[in-house]
Amino acid sequence: MPVPECSQPDPVSGSPSGIGPVQMRPLHAVDPTPVRSTTDPGGGGLDASDLCRSFGVERAVDHVDLHVLPGQIHALVGLNGAGKTTLMRLLLGMLRPDRGSVAIFGHSVAGASSELWRRVGHMLDTAFGYPELTASENLRCAALLRGLPEATARTEMNTGISDLRLSRWAGCRTRTLSTGNRQRLGLACALIGEPDLLVLDEPTTALDPAGVVLVRTLLRAAAARGTAVLVSSHHLDEMARIADHITVMHRGRIVGALDPTGVDLERTFFDLVLTVDEADDRPVE
Amino acid sequence: MGAALKVEWLKLRRSRISLITAVLVGIGVPALTAGFLAAATRGPADTPLAIKVNAMLVGEGWTAYLGMLAQILSVMSFLGVGFVVAWCFGREFTDHTITGLYALPTSLATIAAAKYVVLLAWSLALSLITLAAAFALAPFAGLPAPTTEALEPAAKVLAVGVNGAVLAYPLAFIASAARGYLPAVAGLILIVVVTQILTVLGVGAWVPYAATSLWAGMGGPAAAATIEPHHLALIPLTAAAGVASTLWWWRRMQVV
Repeated sequence: MPVPECSQPDPVSGSPSGIGPVQMRPLHAVDPTPVRSTTDPGGGGLDASDLCRSFGVERAVDHVDLHVLPGQIHALVGLNGAGKTTLMRLLLGMLRPDRGSVAIFGHSVAGASSELWRRVGHMLDTAFGYPELTASENLRCAALLRGLPEATARTEMNTGISDLRLSRWAGCRTRTLSTGNRQRLGLACALIGEPDLLVLDEPTTALDPAGVVLVRTLLRAAAARGTAVLVSSHHLDEMARIADHITVMHRGRIVGALDPTGVDLERTFFDLVLTVDEADDRPVE
Repeated sequence: MGAALKVEWLKLRRSRISLITAVLVGIGVPALTAGFLAAATRGPADTPLAIKVNAMLVGEGWTAYLGMLAQILSVMSFLGVGFVVAWCFGREFTDHTITGLYALPTSLATIAAAKYVVLLAWSLALSLITLAAAFALAPFAGLPAPTTEALEPAAKVLAVGVNGAVLAYPLAFIASAARGYLPAVAGLILIVVVTQILTVLGVGAWVPYAATSLWAGMGGPAAAATIEPHHLALIPLTAAAGVASTLWWWRRMQVV
């Protein structure tokens, strides 16, 4: 039976999650000014070198080199099936590469320490959110799993609820939330503890225009703090607004870059894709 | 481990399947046992139900009552906890929440270990609840207040409940390797069927899934007498193999 989205006022004050009344932080309170050096203290952000991964005969990621610098938003754009998600899984150790290596802040992802992962936030595939838990409980769980002590986890939970405008749904079971609000919750989980590296796979897909603007502001603020941000998307216009670098991926390969300040990005993008398809002697699907 | 334990305990506490299983096993099994005993001892002795129940009874009074409870619980504990184990591990894949558990300071193996710890605690509590409910429902079966004669069969009920629970641990490996709870449920059904066949073939004592039921008296007093400590020792070994294989898998598994 379909369940209507929970629209009750936040009853969380006395809930088991124990969060207090949530004060909404205005967008301008998300400080976009740098508070950290954009030169990474532990290495050069995210570095992937000669990454390859196949599934059977299909090469999903093909000799990819990628560098995401601290303090910058790096957009990864490509058609469906280009290999963006597979690449992100490789970058975060969710998949092992057939060849090549990944380093985060100068440390190899293979056998990475918990200290390294403490500095990483991500949202891939499905937004973090257990349907039986409330939005605030999911945030608290994400904060605990990120290694934060209980008191800090509760503070981060309140911050996440406020920053992603989830106060109205904080006490609602996640199964009752709309897809867009679940995505907001996933983003709030990824942003817990102001990570030094953010990897987000199509973070605005299900969001309404207000949510898109909110995410734009939050990502800019994160980059201003010195966070290295890697974000994948189909939306060239949106990426042009926020990204410092736009890398184009097609058929598992990095096939070029787009100038975020350039005109007619869509045409340039399709020209790149078409050139690759012609070189491969395969028509555009 | 502390963070993972908090998270896993909250998830289990909020799940419907753990609640449903707790009610079915913790209340349903003692109620069924009390009802059976009342039907067998307080009604006509020649009804089909009374004849079948009388065949399950060994001894009289509390010994018979708790003995029958142990027999039913030996199966229901495995089935009930089996469903919860299958869900607890398999849901991470079915609900696509597994991706969010990667690239965290809390490792995947730690999360899997926390699931087992929480399940063990929950199973122990379930066995205690079952026993407490049995004591509460005993007057409905026409039993007097318990005496020290109830201690030994009560301890057996707890042991059988925990045995059935830990025997479900290998299902976590099936749920993890096959990426969902339905394969683990299929594994659960398969184990029950194969156990039945092997027991009929006369090698049940060496099958941990049958040994605990035989020890509880399901095959009669003669079959229970054939169960030696080394047969029962296979139960923790089976559970340990399930835990070890699941942790190994969670250390190396990829998102595909």
